[in-house]
Order: sequence, then structure tokens, then C-alpha cells
Amino acid sequence: MMDKLLSLLQLCDSNFPSGAFSHSFGFETYIYHEKIRNYETFKTVLCTYIETQLTYVDGLACRLTYECLAKKSEEDIWRLDEMLTALSLARETREGNRLIGERMLKLCSEIYPSDVLNNYKEMYRKKRVYVHPALVFAMVCYHMEIPKDITVLSYLYVAVQSLIQNAVRSIPLGQTDGQKLLVFVQMHMMDAAQKIDCLEETDLGAMAPGLEIAQMQHEQLSVRLFMS
Amino acid sequence: MNWSGLLQCTAIDKHGCTMISDCYYEGAFKLIRPVYLHPSQPTIYLIHLGGGYVDGDRYKTEIVLKEKAKLIATTQSATKVYKTVKMPVQQYTFIHLDEQSVLEFLPDPLIAYENAKFYQETTIHMKESSTLIYSDMITPGWSESGELFRYDWIRSKLKVYYEGSLKLFDHLYLKPGDEITGILQMEGYTHFGSFLVLSPFITNNVVHEMETVFSSFSSQAHIGWSTPMVPGLVVRILAYETDVIEMIFRAIHELIRKRCFGEGSIFLRKY
Repeated sequence: MMDKLLSLLQLCDSNFPSGAFSHSFGFETYIYHEKIRNYETFKTVLCTYIETQLTYVDGLACRLTYECLAKKSEEDIWRLDEMLTALSLARETREGNRLIGERMLKLCSEIYPSDVLNNYKEMYRKKRVYVHPALVFAMVCYHMEIPKDITVLSYLYVAVQSLIQNAVRSIPLGQTDGQKLLVFVQMHMMDAAQKIDCLEETDLGAMAPGLEIAQMQHEQLSVRLFMS
Repeated sequence: MNWSGLLQCTAIDKHGCTMISDCYYEGAFKLIRPVYLHPSQPTIYLIHLGGGYVDGDRYKTEIVLKEKAKLIATTQSATKVYKTVKMPVQQYTFIHLDEQSVLEFLPDPLIAYENAKFYQETTIHMKESSTLIYSDMITPGWSESGELFRYDWIRSKLKVYYEGSLKLFDHLYLKPGDEITGILQMEGYTHFGSFLVLSPFITNNVVHEMETVFSSFSSQAHIGWSTPMVPGLVVRILAYETDVIEMIFRAIHELIRKRCFGEGSIFLRKY
């Protein structure tokens, strides 16, 4: 693991240019309506987000992709890509994931090239897939031989730290509060990773209705810092 | 495979008028003679003879619309799911929409009683030229104590295959617990409604017009809407009452019938 550590740190770095800093995935709607307005209110929403969206959608998709790679069944990965995209009913969230996924795919296939990333890129070029960051992340980690559990937990970390960074800028919160929160949710992310490990493919995509509405309403907000 | 209720129905177009060409039902499901609320477009009422779904029940409904057929399908009353001890109640619906067909599938709400477990899966295969209008409503259920959200869980999946590929997958899983009424989940509301329209006739103009409808209900319900990957509109509603969601559904439905098909509204409810 030691030899992979630096690569994993690079991939999880908040400076990794995936474009995630432009997307709030519905959080901005809650900020706009002052449902999220400080450390405490943000903390509650973030924890629920980890337990719902990140567990049943992004995290589970990451785990399933890793397993498909281990089984060498690429067709199943393209099917996951199709399912994830179809699951995103809010347009901005769907497009946000595609934009982030596309940037990650391009960048990662330059710095950590692998056959599966190339195939994913080729499928994207032919418009046969939509591209999702959770899938790209699993592909890169699998190729670097990072264990599955660490891959999933790291992906949760990437998603959470990006939301926290965005919250620090937009609520706003102090930088120290942001870092405190990142420590506070460690346990929640570990629990989520464990839960993800026990889920079935049939659990994929169970959505939180309120969050989905917030992601939809974002399209109509009069003032927006984020694209989703 | 034994079903507690099975219903199959095929609609065809004959010289601009839709007719039921084939119909079969067994078990607890029944279909009565279609009603022509519109001169050329029949409405079918899906009837459950038992009054409610019980432990281990499995239901299957299959609706096929041939080229240019136009059908309205609804239920006769709310779907009630009673206490399930051993096996969750399962309901499968399959819908096939051929070229230029129009299906308006508008069932009554779902009421899950205390300790009910309900799994529902709807699979739709449609053509680019066809239209699907589909609504779904979940109430907080019913319990003797009057307490809400006493069911064990409800899982509802809707998969739409558009020209063969999965373009919309709606997966809702409601499991009452500490968080169900909270933020990101039900946001303090009790009733959930979902309205979906996939149709080549849904244009930006129709969506904009729809926004006025939504704003007129903004004090009574929490509404979100967006556009899926294929031409259409998806609407999510959280509210405190069945009636409010029904009213919003009716307003959306009316506007779509008018703008997309130049038709008047249809009043389906029987009580």
C-alpha cells in the first residue's frame, strides 16, 4: 500500500482539478433558503447526505464498478453508467456528474493510463456512455491495486471534502470549522463504507426525495454560485 | 408462476378510435368494460376485488398499446397494503408503448398500513414517438393509533427503456425511522407525489407554461421539476394532503392534454 499512497493522496487532493468545486449537488438550494446557515445545520445535512445519496448512489456505484473490474466484466460497467445517469432525474446533477466525470477521465487517462480508462473514453467518444466520477475513480484505484474497501472510503472522502470546501466558501464557514467537520464525519464515512459493503446491486439509486427536489429547484434559483 | 392477481390488456387503434383488442385477468384483479370519457379514447379502471393487498401477495399488470392507440388507465380506489409478516407484497407492472401511442397511467394513491412492506417495480418500453403520462402518490399510511409512517418500508422502482435503452430510472425507498420526516428526506411533509411525462410534444414552451402552474401551488406544496434525458418533464411533490397532490396532478395533466394534444381535461375520480 505504501507505494500507492502518494498516488491515492494525489487523487483525493482537494486541488485535483476535477471541477467538483463548481457543484453543490443541491446544497446551494438549502443555503439559499437558509435551511443550511451555519456549522450545525450544515453538519446535519451532510450526515444525512452521506447516509443517503453517497451510500446508495455514488458509494455503491464505486464498489460495484470495482467488483466488475475484478470480474473483468466491462459490459456490466457500461450498464452501471447507464443506470447511474438514468437515476439522476435532476438535469443539473446529471450534467454536473458528467462534467466532473469527463474531466477526471481525461486527466486520469493521461496520468494513470489503463485499458479500461481508454475503453471508457472510447465509449464516451461514441456517446455510448455518459461518464460518472464514481466509475472513473474505481477504475483508477483498481488499476493501482488499491484495495476495494479503501477505494470506496476514499471516494466518500473525495465527495465529502469537496462539499465541505464548497460550504466553507458559500455559507460561509471558517476554514477551521470546515476541517473540524471533516474530522467529525470520519465515523459517518466509515459507517457508510461498511453499509455499502453489505448492500446489493438492487439497492442502487434509492434517492432521498427532499434532496432530489432541492437539486431540481437549483435550476430556478435567482442567485447561484454553483452549476448544480 | 402463480400471481395473486394478473391483468393483461392490449389496446389498438382502429380508424382513429382506440379499442381494447385483448384483455385477460385472473385472481384478485379485474377489468371492467372500458369507459369512454373521451369519444375515441377509452379509460380502463383496474380493479382489485379483495379491497387490499396482504402478506406475500404478488401482482402483475401488463398493458400494451399498439401503434397510435390512446388509453387512459387508472384504479378504482387507493391501493391498500395491509400488515405483511412474512413476505413483502410485490407488484410488477409492464407497459409497452408502440409508435405514436399515448398512455395516461394515473392510479390512486398508495396507503401502506402498520407493518406493511411493499415492493413495486414498473418497467416501461417506449418508442420515441410515443407518449407516457405517469403519476404515483404515496401517503404516510394508516395505523390504529393515528400515528403516521408506521409501515415497515416501501420500495418503488420505475424503469423506462426508450428505444431500447434505459433513460430514466426512478428509485424511491422509504423506510420510516428517525430521519424520514427530516431534511433531505420528507422535509417535514407527509405525502409524496411524482408526475412524469415523456413525450415528443413536451417543448420548452410547455415546460415554461408549467412553471406558472407550479408557482400557483407553492404555498401548499414543496415542488421540484426538471427535464430528463429524453423530451419530457419530471415533477416531484411533497405536501400534507392527498387532495393537494391530486389538484397539482390534475393541473399538470390538464395543461398537457391541452398543449400537447389539443384535448380538454378528463375527470377520472369516482368519488
